[in-house]
Amino acid sequence: MPRAGWQKMIEDSGFTDVVIGAAVDTFGGAEGEDKARAYEVYGYAFMARRS
Amino acid sequence: MADQTPVDPEALREQVRDKYRAVAVAPGATYHFHTGRRLAAHLAYDPELVDPLPDRAVESFAGVGNPFSLGRLALGARVVDVGSGAGFDSFVAAQQVGPEGRVVGVDMTAEMLKKSTETAETMGLDHVEFREGLAEDLPIEDGWADVVISNGVINLCADKRAVFAEIHRVLRPDGRLQFADIANGRPVPPEALRDIDLWTG
Repeated sequence: MPRAGWQKMIEDSGFTDVVIGAAVDTFGGAEGEDKARAYEVYGYAFMARRS
Repeated sequence: MADQTPVDPEALREQVRDKYRAVAVAPGATYHFHTGRRLAAHLAYDPELVDPLPDRAVESFAGVGNPFSLGRLALGARVVDVGSGAGFDSFVAAQQVGPEGRVVGVDMTAEMLKKSTETAETMGLDHVEFREGLAEDLPIEDGWADVVISNGVINLCADKRAVFAEIHRVLRPDGRLQFADIANGRPVPPEALRDIDLWTG
């Protein structure tokens, strides 16, 4: 799911003030790096407040 | 990954169990993701919180980001760790909330639960416990938690909306959700979404 999809789902689920951190190259140097690169997959931290 | 999965939810759950069962019992094996202390450093976890942990608390860590990077947990907070695995993030949280706080990790994999529970006992942590359960059906009472954390787990759940609804249920009003997960910048084609190996990696 893209970042924007995560944000929408979080907001649709009753959360506000969504913050998304910088991309992290989670799979860099790991065996799964090629697959991650193919779909531009990165790790992100998310924070939100329950409404 | 997609909002709603085109794979069978129970088959996906079993694949995830198999994958993380292996990580629990053979943390030194090669996986398509990083694990352990190397991963914690890669994800910029605070060494002051990681270095004191015993190896068994860290070696099976297989998260995808750092849920603490956007905010430290408050002393005394009540925390739920969704998909707690071998307990690494729960043990980090336990140090941040202190002995007046409380951390409940929830996981569906027996081997992970056994490992995390034994590690907590070894560390003498009375304010940390681990419960068997699903992200879509957390064994936590309504409004109990000040904070819910999770790391690389929601992406592996077939019904993500159900997971967020459950997190909303267990959080108190104004409570905080802090989690890490993966996001793709390029669309994943439908045939790839049906590849269950992609979901577990």
